[in-house]
Amino acid sequence: MTRGARDMWWRMAWRNLWRNRRRTLLTASALSFGFVAAVLMMGLMNGMLEEMVSNGTEVVSGQVQIHAEGYRPERSIHDTMGGREGVDVGALVAAAEGQEGVAGVAPRVYGGGLVSSGDETVGAVLMGVDPVREASVSRFASVFVEGGMPGPGEVAVGVDLAGRVGIGVGDEAVLVAPAADGSTGNGLFAVSGIYRMDLGGFDDSYALLEMGTLQDFLAMDRGRIHEVAISVDRVRDADAVADAVAAAVTDHSPDLVTEPWSVFLGQLYFVVNMAGAMNWIVAVMIFGMAIFGVANTMLLATFERRREFAVARALGTSGGALGRIVVYEGLLLGVVALSAGAALALPILAWVRANPIDLGSFVGTYSFMGSAIRPLLTVEYSLLEPVVSAVALLGTGIVSALLPAWRAARLLPADVLADR
Amino acid sequence: MKKAAIPFILAAAAVVVAATAAAVAAPPAAAQTDPEVLEIIDEVDRLWRGASSAGTMRMEIDTEHWSRSLEMEVWSLGTDYSLIRVESPAREAGTATLKVDNEVWNYLPRADRTIKIPPSMMLGSWMGSHVTNDDLVKESRLIDDYDIVISYEGDRDGEAVWEFTMTPRPEAPVIWGRIEQRIRKRDRMPLWTHYYDEDGTLARTMSFGEFRTMGGRMVPSRMVIEPADDEERTVITYLDLAFDVGLDEEFFSLRNLRARQ
Repeated sequence: MTRGARDMWWRMAWRNLWRNRRRTLLTASALSFGFVAAVLMMGLMNGMLEEMVSNGTEVVSGQVQIHAEGYRPERSIHDTMGGREGVDVGALVAAAEGQEGVAGVAPRVYGGGLVSSGDETVGAVLMGVDPVREASVSRFASVFVEGGMPGPGEVAVGVDLAGRVGIGVGDEAVLVAPAADGSTGNGLFAVSGIYRMDLGGFDDSYALLEMGTLQDFLAMDRGRIHEVAISVDRVRDADAVADAVAAAVTDHSPDLVTEPWSVFLGQLYFVVNMAGAMNWIVAVMIFGMAIFGVANTMLLATFERRREFAVARALGTSGGALGRIVVYEGLLLGVVALSAGAALALPILAWVRANPIDLGSFVGTYSFMGSAIRPLLTVEYSLLEPVVSAVALLGTGIVSALLPAWRAARLLPADVLADR
Repeated sequence: MKKAAIPFILAAAAVVVAATAAAVAAPPAAAQTDPEVLEIIDEVDRLWRGASSAGTMRMEIDTEHWSRSLEMEVWSLGTDYSLIRVESPAREAGTATLKVDNEVWNYLPRADRTIKIPPSMMLGSWMGSHVTNDDLVKESRLIDDYDIVISYEGDRDGEAVWEFTMTPRPEAPVIWGRIEQRIRKRDRMPLWTHYYDEDGTLARTMSFGEFRTMGGRMVPSRMVIEPADDEERTVITYLDLAFDVGLDEEFFSLRNLRARQ
């Protein structure tokens, strides 16, 4: 087939397409809408997953954590790194900090106890932190609504806990907790600050203390810590960073376990993976439905033109050529729809990304599998989703045209012209 | 559970017996218990009844994760009142427990807080030991909750003893399936108490030793409480003990719980 002949078939397909302008526009609109819906939905889903992962890891946990073997999931106060003897915390932190891709390192001590004032008592996780280092891993330091991180002898609490117990900055809070030596740690602590994380759990059931203060309170030596949380430069590198840190810290204590967030937030990782797969399933469904709709329209269009096809066959056009022209029509329809869809979808994506839709007035914040979800619709997109959707759309055009094309190619001119 | 409370109340020694003594004061309950048992108990009861006591004791606790030793002052009046205050180590000095009838309060000196133990925490550990809060209060109700029979009488290891078996009454709010205890005849000193769960499995052993005359009376000055399922244990040793020290009920007040002496 010469170049001119090829052009001719395309030109004929293009003209055929616009012989019924309204029907073509309606069909193309359906495809465009499908494309916009698929791209936008995947973008929103990815935005939500990104939000879940970052909330799940940047708020408190970090992307990599070191614990004593067996610490998780029970989180017993006795399972400190290096056992009863503990570890050289400074050296351990320095070793982790020296690894490539590590952004911040924060050692932590945990206990469970009661925070009270007057007659009000609330159960809380007591978290001992290095107030300076903590800022490089978690958000605590940056979300204070009043006061700041705790110094020695001080405690900082979430805004909801403060409200329930009835304490403010400068007040004294009573803390009671079972200590590591079997005694009952109890004492008075000045409230250094009140924070608002706005994410599940932390505002109503966490109390932050300076690490040494909490160690004394829980009758633990300074070398005894429960956790080292590490933030990484790029979340997707968490696995590699975890491996490097694991190798670097193994000298400090043989029983250390270093894990990336996909392990210690395994449920979150599972949900993110599953939701990512759901993305594609929904895209398949959208285009799958479009295929039948478009096929129906094109069947009708070719049926209307069966006499014209019969004449063309009678004049010597091959069945294959007729089939090809129908497929070309489907493909061109896809191109038209894609152009319109892209022109519509990409600005919407960019706009939502710049202006996340806050559904806060409809639903509250909730936490889910260790992560926290804000009711904020945002989008995250890469080239992948739009490109795959575009290919899917064009594929839809072609696949929809296959049955009409096959029928056009198989048509028997004499029968059609004789209305048999 | 029932038994362990005793150490804190009267002389540690009287453990089984003192608890049992209450039977005399509760005739309807006692009616189902063998008269011979009641006679033994009555005699022991007269030995201990009404006595107030004051003493000091050391409690050494060994667990899988930590070990710790406390010295405490102990006051008691009958089986209904007791007050215990930690003297050392310094970290815990001033920590105190008050028991009046079935209620227990703890005082935490650093926080200056008095906490009444809620029902949900009665089975929790007392000061990290293998004694529960429930042990502190239930001891005086042993007779109400159990039928007691002599299951053995004769020689054991060359010593004439009684062995009692206590089985809970149908409606009794208790956690043990059975309690057994051995008391030697010559001075009516308890030797051990075994606590069995509802499956009949040994759950806890309390043994008594170092029988000494303290405050003019023979008592077992050392008690060892061992859960059956691990290597842990709590050892309580009376360092000194005096009886009939003239305490009255008013001594066992929340104000005295907080007072550091």
